[in-house]
Amino acid sequence: MNLQLVRLLHLASPALPVGAFSYSQGLEWAVESGAVTSEAAAQRWIRDALHLALARCEAPALIGLLRAWKAGNACEVARLNAEFIATRETSELRAETLQMGYSLARLLRDLPDTPEATKTALLELREIAFPTPWATAAAHWQIEELDAANAYLWAWLENQVMAAVKLVPLGQTAGQRMLVALAEDLPALALEAVRRADTEDWENFTPGMTLASSQHETQYTRLFRS
Amino acid sequence: MNAPADPTLLPPLTQPQGWQASLALRVENRTGRSVLARNQHYGPLRVQKALYPEGDPVCQILMLHPPAGIAGGDQLQIEVEVAADAHAQLTTPGAGKWYKARGVDQPLATQDITLSVAAGGKLEWLPQEVIVFDQAQARATTTINLAEGARAIGWDILCLGRQASGEDFRTGSFRQRLRLQRPDGTPLWQEAMHLQGSDSTMRSPVGLNNKRIFGTLWLAGITPDATLTESLRSLAISTGTYGLSALPQVTIIRAMADSAEAIRQYFEAVWAMARPHVLQREAVAPRIWKT
Repeated sequence: MNLQLVRLLHLASPALPVGAFSYSQGLEWAVESGAVTSEAAAQRWIRDALHLALARCEAPALIGLLRAWKAGNACEVARLNAEFIATRETSELRAETLQMGYSLARLLRDLPDTPEATKTALLELREIAFPTPWATAAAHWQIEELDAANAYLWAWLENQVMAAVKLVPLGQTAGQRMLVALAEDLPALALEAVRRADTEDWENFTPGMTLASSQHETQYTRLFRS
Repeated sequence: MNAPADPTLLPPLTQPQGWQASLALRVENRTGRSVLARNQHYGPLRVQKALYPEGDPVCQILMLHPPAGIAGGDQLQIEVEVAADAHAQLTTPGAGKWYKARGVDQPLATQDITLSVAAGGKLEWLPQEVIVFDQAQARATTTINLAEGARAIGWDILCLGRQASGEDFRTGSFRQRLRLQRPDGTPLWQEAMHLQGSDSTMRSPVGLNNKRIFGTLWLAGITPDATLTESLRSLAISTGTYGLSALPQVTIIRAMADSAEAIRQYFEAVWAMARPHVLQREAVAPRIWKT
């Protein structure tokens, strides 16, 4: 899978111009409110968000979308895209996925490699959640489901850890230590995501995280957009 | 659906399969009066009273849940339709209860609620809190069909375990789905949870953070309004945490606390402030809240 591996690294790269680095998903408020003030607390927050939010909702949505794109089923893509957007329950979390989704969809539209039918299907969506065009690219590059789930979770994890390094703040070594530790959870979570996608068993109940996100809307000084 | 049944003729609680109950209501606007035009029930779910404390425009409906709570194998269905330009306000006189399952092989207790509001219709769904006993095995869904131009305010307050008597929620399992959608099924907002005593959601700071009582209040059919959002943010819960966020068609208000009373008081204050904006009516607290 040499070329596919390279494609996957490309897709999961923090250099992908979608602005992921500007979002903390409530972590900034968690730090501000005193809930996260140490490496251990940051690691717990991020690990729990991975397990309770990403593996139970966002990654299963990604896998469902990947299957729909691979089957060329534009209706199913549109349905899953709308279902996922409806799980984002604060305006910042919704704005985040829509902004990143829009940026990635535009990028795919402008790349010579993207098939015309895919461009058309993407452009027909009024609002585009981030997993939707990510799954477009993964389907086009023939990425396997588990690989896609692992890479998506890794990209999210890396971004959250970098946010924690900036916010808590923590040293770069502490950040790398967290990445090494938390990466070990990913293969099992990717499997969970694929299993949940089979029956569309999404769960999006993370009240602590969404309360943090809603409080962030009125936080006085902010580095991040969520 | 069958004609109203005498509750004394229903199978006793000890029946292994549980009992079935349903309630189907429709409120219509007839020359300015919101009339309970359909009221069909089967089993112990029923309307206790339809009242008009605010006069003709608002039909206030007191719903009686099965008095003994919901046990394993019970299947409840509630359907409420609010027709164009009608206004229905639904409350319950007591807390809902999900009993512990009597055995591991017992079927789930289930409740499915569908609330449908037509264009110009107004719905208030303001039940008392629901207590999920430890060892309960249950599933609940609430689906709100909201036409363009329909308005609704509703809440859901959930207590895991009988906290008042020192019971934690350790081995229970409770699945709940809340979904606001257009009548064609297009989702506006949704939430799905599977709460289990052993799940890390119970303790995690991104989850319930060791709280066992939480509530969700939705203001639906409105576009975000900075003035309203600002005013609502000025309200605070007496003890606990809370937050709100305005999405394109729904504003979601959340609270977590150690007492259902704290959440109820907070939600009543939010309701009183939001009602004139969402439903164009001043807040008149239902008398049942004061008893």
